[in-house]
Amino acid sequence: MAQHVVDIAFAARGRGQQPAAFKIDESHARARAPVRAPSQVPAMGLYTLQSLSPAEAKEHPLAMASRFWGQGDSDSEEEEEIESEEGSDIEESRGRDEEKRTGVTSRYLKGDDDDSDESDSGHRVVRSLRDKRNEEMKSIVDQMRNAMKINDWVSLQESFEKLNKHLEKVARVNESTEVPRMYIKTLVLLEDFLAEALANKEAKKKMSSSNAKALNAMKQKLKKNNKQYEDQIQKCREHPESFEEDDDKDDDDDEDEEEDSDAEIEDPEKMAMESDEEDEDKKDDGWETKLSRKDKLMDKQFLKDPSEITWDIVDKKLKEIVASRGKKGTGRIERVEQLTFLTRVAKTPAQKLEILFHVISAQFDVNPSLLGHMPVKVWKKCVDNMLLVLDILQQYPNIVVDTTVEPDEKETQKGADYNGTIHVTGDLVAFLERLDSEFFKTLQCTDPYTKDYVLRLREEPLFLVVAQNVQDYLERVGNLKAAAKVALRRVELVYYKPQEVYDAMRKLAEQPEDSMEDGDDEAGDEHQTVDDHGGPPPFVVIPEVVPRKPTFPESGRTLMDGLMSLIYKFGDERTKARAMLCDIYHHAISDEFSVARDLLLMSHLQDGVQLMDISSQILFNRVMAQLGLCAFKAGLITEAHSCLTELYSTGRVKELLAQGVQQSRYHEKTPEQERLERRRQMPYHMHINLELLEATHLICAMLIEVPIMAASTYDKRRPMSKTFRRLLEVSERQTFIGPPENVRDHVMAATRALNKGDYQKVFSVISSLEIWKLLRNKEQVLEMLKLKVKEEALRTYLFSYSSCYESLSLDQLTTMFDLTEPHAHSIVSKMMMQEELHASWDQPTKCIVFHSVDQTRLQGLLFQMADKLSVLVESNERAYEARTGGTLEGVPPRRRGDGQDSSNLGRWQDNFVSSQGRQGGNKFGYAGGRGGGQGGGYQKDRGGQGSRGGHGGSRFQDGRGRNQYGSTARGGDGSARMVSLNRAGRV
Amino acid sequence: MAEHDLTSRLAAQLDRHLVFPLLEFVQDRRLYPEAEVMEAKLRLLDGTNMVEYAMEIHRSLHGTEDVPGDMVARRKEVHARLKVLEAAAAPLVTFLRNPQLVQELRPDRQYNLHMLHQRFQARLKMDTMYSYGTTTNQILLFTMQIGRDHIEAMYDNAKFLFECGIYTHAAEYLYQYRALSTNSERSVSASWGILASEILNQNWDTALEELNRLKEIIDSKNFSSPLNQLQNRVWLMHWSLFIFFNHENGRNGIIDLFFQDRYLNAIQTNAHHLLRYLATAVVVNKRRRNMLRELIKVIQQEQHCYKDPITEFLECLYVNYDFDGAQKKLMDCEQVILNDPFLGRHTEAGNFITVPLRDEFLENARMFIFETYCRIHRRIDISILAEKLNMRYDEAELWIMNLVRSSKLDAKIDSVSGTLIMSTDHINVHEEIIEGLKKLNSRTYLLAKNIVEPAQLAQQAARGD
Repeated sequence: MAQHVVDIAFAARGRGQQPAAFKIDESHARARAPVRAPSQVPAMGLYTLQSLSPAEAKEHPLAMASRFWGQGDSDSEEEEEIESEEGSDIEESRGRDEEKRTGVTSRYLKGDDDDSDESDSGHRVVRSLRDKRNEEMKSIVDQMRNAMKINDWVSLQESFEKLNKHLEKVARVNESTEVPRMYIKTLVLLEDFLAEALANKEAKKKMSSSNAKALNAMKQKLKKNNKQYEDQIQKCREHPESFEEDDDKDDDDDEDEEEDSDAEIEDPEKMAMESDEEDEDKKDDGWETKLSRKDKLMDKQFLKDPSEITWDIVDKKLKEIVASRGKKGTGRIERVEQLTFLTRVAKTPAQKLEILFHVISAQFDVNPSLLGHMPVKVWKKCVDNMLLVLDILQQYPNIVVDTTVEPDEKETQKGADYNGTIHVTGDLVAFLERLDSEFFKTLQCTDPYTKDYVLRLREEPLFLVVAQNVQDYLERVGNLKAAAKVALRRVELVYYKPQEVYDAMRKLAEQPEDSMEDGDDEAGDEHQTVDDHGGPPPFVVIPEVVPRKPTFPESGRTLMDGLMSLIYKFGDERTKARAMLCDIYHHAISDEFSVARDLLLMSHLQDGVQLMDISSQILFNRVMAQLGLCAFKAGLITEAHSCLTELYSTGRVKELLAQGVQQSRYHEKTPEQERLERRRQMPYHMHINLELLEATHLICAMLIEVPIMAASTYDKRRPMSKTFRRLLEVSERQTFIGPPENVRDHVMAATRALNKGDYQKVFSVISSLEIWKLLRNKEQVLEMLKLKVKEEALRTYLFSYSSCYESLSLDQLTTMFDLTEPHAHSIVSKMMMQEELHASWDQPTKCIVFHSVDQTRLQGLLFQMADKLSVLVESNERAYEARTGGTLEGVPPRRRGDGQDSSNLGRWQDNFVSSQGRQGGNKFGYAGGRGGGQGGGYQKDRGGQGSRGGHGGSRFQDGRGRNQYGSTARGGDGSARMVSLNRAGRV
Repeated sequence: MAEHDLTSRLAAQLDRHLVFPLLEFVQDRRLYPEAEVMEAKLRLLDGTNMVEYAMEIHRSLHGTEDVPGDMVARRKEVHARLKVLEAAAAPLVTFLRNPQLVQELRPDRQYNLHMLHQRFQARLKMDTMYSYGTTTNQILLFTMQIGRDHIEAMYDNAKFLFECGIYTHAAEYLYQYRALSTNSERSVSASWGILASEILNQNWDTALEELNRLKEIIDSKNFSSPLNQLQNRVWLMHWSLFIFFNHENGRNGIIDLFFQDRYLNAIQTNAHHLLRYLATAVVVNKRRRNMLRELIKVIQQEQHCYKDPITEFLECLYVNYDFDGAQKKLMDCEQVILNDPFLGRHTEAGNFITVPLRDEFLENARMFIFETYCRIHRRIDISILAEKLNMRYDEAELWIMNLVRSSKLDAKIDSVSGTLIMSTDHINVHEEIIEGLKKLNSRTYLLAKNIVEPAQLAQQAARGD
C-alpha cells in the first residue's frame, strides 16, 4: 500500500518536472487525430493502449480519476459526439458505432443492476455462489498482479492457467456468455506487460532460464487466448474507464486494488524520472523504465520542436523501426502506429513517401496468417495511406516509384524543391493487389447472411477509387504494363455485375459524396485545432489532389471496354487471359451470347485453360456456366447444353465453381486440401445460382434427349447427356412417384410428361419452379421455353406414334400442340429433310403421308446383326494385317471414325470448330498463340473429332504461324474439358 | 432502296482508285442524291493526284466554271513533282527501254543490281569527262548509290503515276521495279499496285495472275501479327471481287478462294458482308452445289452480325424450310443484286440491257426452291407451285414438263387434278440388309483366300522338296 502511495507522489513529482514535455504530448495526441480523421473510421481502435505512447498512457490515470468522479459522463458524451460526427461519414460506420454504443450503455445498465442487486442483498452476509466465484477470480487476478510486480513469469503462467479454468466456472455461474470485465482487463494488463517484457532485451537476458521459458510460453498462450476476446480487449483499450468503473463498482471492497492498478500504470513514468536511483531489488521495474524511457525519448525527439527534427533523425528512427520487423516483442499494430507517427514528422515529401510505404507494408503485416484476413479498419487505413501516397506522387511528379533502381542512401533527403528525379523504392501495384486480395479474403471469411458482409461489400468503391487513381497515375507515368494489371483488378470487381447491380454500385459511390465531404471538413477542422494548440502540424502537408470518389461511366459495358482495351494492349499473358474471361462473362450476363461465344472461340482460352492457375480455371468454369445460362436465355438449347454438360458430368459443380465445398463420399480430403479449397472459394455475392444452373442444364438435356430416345428405341446410341439418362433411370426405378420437390424432381416429372407429348403438363411443371424469378426477363424466357417444349413435344409425338398413322393432317398437329401452321410445317419439313421422319407432305390436302419404312423388330435386329458381323469381319481383317504386316488387297477402305459420328450429335460442335477457326481474327489483338490442340472444348465425341479435329487444325495454320503442324497433329485429341480442380487441388 | 448497299463497307477495304467504279455505279443507279455522290467523289479525289478530274467534278457539282485556287495550285505542284520524279527515274527507264540491254539482265537480282551499278558508273565517268564542274569526291558519292536509288525512284514515279490515274504506265514501271528490286517490303507494295492498275485497266487475266501471286505472298509471308495478315487477306478478297465478277472463270475462283479456311475465317471475323458475294456465287454456280451446306453453316453462325436478303433467302430455304419466306426474300434479292456494283453489272446486248447475274441467280434460286419443295412432298398443286416459282400456271407446267423430260425430276403430272405427283423411291429394308451383308461375303472370301493361298503355296513348296 505504502509503496503505491509513494508511487503516486513520485509520479506527481515527475509530472511537475516536465511540464513542457507533457504539454507537447498532449498536443501530439491530438495532432494525431487528423491522420486518423480522413480514414472515416471513427473510434476504430487501432488506438490500443499498447500503441499509445507512454505520454498518452500517462494521461490516463488522471483522466480516469476525473471521469470517475463526475465528469465521466460529459467526457464520454463528448466522445460520442465526435463519434457521431465522424459516424455520419459513412452510414455503415455509423451503424457500427451505434451498435457499439448501445452495447456499451447496456453494459453500463447491467453493471448497475448487478450493483444494486448486490447492495440489496447486503454486505458479506450471504455470499451467493456467483459472488464467491467472482471473489475467487479476483484473488487470482491479485496474485497475477503480484507476480507481475516481481517479474515472476513462472507463477504468472500458473495463475493465468488457473484464471482461465476459473473463467469457465464463473461463466457457468453468471449464466451468461459475457466474459467478466475483470478478466478482460487482466488480459489487457497482461498483454501490455508482456509486450514490455519482451521489448526489453537486457532484462530478458538477465532472467533465469525457467523464467524466460515461462515468459515465452506465456506469450504464446496469451496470443492464442486473446484472439477469442479480441473485440472486448479492443473495447477495453478504447474505453478503459468503462471497465475500470465496472471494476470499481464490482469491487466495492477493494479500493486499494484500484489504486494498485492505477499505480501499476503509473509506475513506469515515475521510474523514468528516477531511473538513476533505481536499486538492485527494483530490478523488475527497472527494465520497464528503460523501455519507457527509450520510447519516450523517441517521441521527445520529435515532439520537442519541429525545427530540431532533422531528416537524419527521422531516417534513423525509420530504419530502427523497419529493422524491428518480425522480431519478438514488436507489436504489429504498434509498428504501424510508430510509422504513422513518423510520416507526420517526415521532412521531405520523398521521405514521407518512403515511410508511407513502410506503413502500408506494416499494415499488411498486421495479419500474419494466410488464412485470416486483415482487420477491416486496418484495411481502410491502408486505403487512405494509398491515397496519400498518390497525393504525394501527383504533387511531386519528380518522385519516381520503382523497384528496379536502388536508391541512394540519401535519396529521400532531397526536398520538395529538388529538381531532378527522386527514386523511392516501392511497388504500387503490389500494394494494390494485396489490398484487393485482402478485401476478397474478408468477404470470403464473412458469413454472407450477416450485416457485416453487406457493410464490407459497400466498401468496394473505396478500393475502386484507389485502383482507379493508381491506374491513372501509372498511365501518366507511362508504366502501362502495371496499369494493365491494375485495370485487371478493377475488371475483376466489375465483371460479374449485371447492369442493375452496377447501377446500384454507382449510386452507392455517388451517394456518400456529402458524408465524404463532411469527413474532409472534419479533417480540416482537426488541422485547425492542431494549429491552435501550437502542436506541430505535419511537416509536409500534402493537399488532397487525387479524387476521393470513383467515377463510373454510365454502363458497365463502357467501363469494361475501356479497361479491356488497355489490358489487351499492354497486359501480359495471364492478365490478358483473365481479362478476356471476365469480358466473356460480362457479355454473357448482358445476354450477348454471340459476342461472348465469338470471344471465347477467338481467344482460344479453352486450349490453354488446363495450364492456367486454379483461380483462372475457376473463372473459366464460371464463364462456361454463365455462357450456358446466356445461351439458354437466348433459346439456344443445344449450345446451352454443351456449355453446361461437362460441368455436370462430374457431379462436382460446387467445387468446379468454387461455390462451397462438396463432401465426397469416396475420398476424404486432408485438412490441407480443405484449407486450400476454402481459400479458393468465391465470395457469396459472386455466386452463380446453382439451382438455376441445374435447372437449365437438365431442361436442356431433356429437350434434347427425349426426342432422341423416342426416335431410337432399338439402337442404343450414345446418349447426348449421360447425366440425364442416369437420373432418368434412377427416377424410373422408383416405385412411387411423389410430387416433385427439388429441381431434379421437377425436370423428371416434366420428362415423363414430354415422353407422352403432353406439352402443357411439361410447361406447368417447369414453370412452377421457383428459380425463374431470378431471371431478368422471366416472361420472355418462359415464353421461349414454352415454344421449345411444344416443338420437342411435337417431335417426340411424331417419333413415337408415326408408325400408328397412315396420314396426319397439319391442322390436327397445330391444334394438338398449339403451334402456328408455318412453324409446325417447318418442324415437320426439317424432320423429313433430315430423314428422321419417313414421310412426305401431300400438299393439296395439307397432310403428312407416312411411308411404311419403319423397321419391324425383326428387321431392326437384323440390322444390328449385320453391323456386328461387319465388326467381326473387320477385326478378322485387322488380325490378318497384324499377323502378316501387309494390307489386305482389294478390300474396300474401311470407314473409320465417321461410322461412329452420329449425324445428330452436335451441330454446335461443328459450329464451334469452324468458328473457332477464326484464329486469324483476333479482333482484339489477343495473340492466341498458346500451344495446345484446338479441338473444340465442347466436343465430347472423339470419334467425330478425328475427322473434324484435323479439319479444324488446318484452319488455324496460318493464324498460328509457326506451330501449324503441331496443331494439326494434335487436332484429334485436343478437347479441353471442363477444368477439373481436383487434380490440381490434390497437389 | 439503299438499305442493303455495301458501298461504304466495301470502300473501307479498297484503294481510293478502286472506289471510283463503285461510286460510278452508285451514281448510275441513283441510290443516293447526285450531289452527295459527287461530293464523295471529290473527297476521294482529294487524296489523289487526279486534279483535272477533280476540277471537272467540282465544276459540275457547283455549276460554275471557277475552280478553287488550291486546286490550281495543286495541279501545278503535281506537274512539277511528276517532272522531278520522272527525271530521277529517267536513266533507268531509258536503259530498260533498250531491249538489247534488258537482255543482259538476269534473274539474279543482286547481279542485276551490280551490273546496273557498273554501267551507270561508266556512263557517269563519261559524263564527268564532259562536265568538269563537279569534283571527284561528289562523283564518288554519287556513283556509290546510283543503282539502288534509281530503282527506288522508279517505284516512286510509278506510285505517282498511279495516283495521277495513269495506270498503264504505273503498272509497266511497277513490273520492272519488281524485277529489279531487292526490297521485299516494297515489292509487295508494288504487287498491290500492279493488281490495282490491272483491275483499273480491266485486264482481268493479268489481274488474276497478280491476285494469285499476292495470295501466295500473303500466305507464306511472316507477318508481324496475325492481325496484319488478316487485314491483308480482307483486302485481297475485296479487290478480288472486281476480278471474279468480271473474269469468265471468276465464279469458280471466288468459291475456291473464299472457301479456303483461312479466307473463310477472315470473312467471319472481319468482313461479314462478303458473305453476300459468296452466297451469290454459290447459288449461281451449278457445279459447286456441294458447298451449299458449308455456306449455310457459316451464314447461320454469322446471322447475328450480317444479314441481307440473299443470305436470308438461303436461311429460309435450308434452315427453316419456310418456302413462303424464301419466296419473299427472293424478290428482295433481285433488288439487292441490281443495286450491287459487282453483282449488278449489266451487259448491253443489242438494244436492251441485261443483268446476267440477276437472271442466273433467279433461275437457280427458283430451282433450289423447287427441288427442296419436291423433296418433302408427295403431291403438289401446280398452281401453288407456279405461285411459289413466280410463274404463270402454264409456264410452270411447261417448265416442269421440261424437267421431267430431261429426267431431272422423277415425277408425273396429273393434269386432271392439276397436281404433280412425286414418285417416291425408298430403299427396301430387305435390300438394304442384303446389300450390307453382300459386302461381308466378299470380304470374308477375300480374307479366306489370303490366308489359304500362302498356306497352299507353302505346302506345294514342301511337296516339291
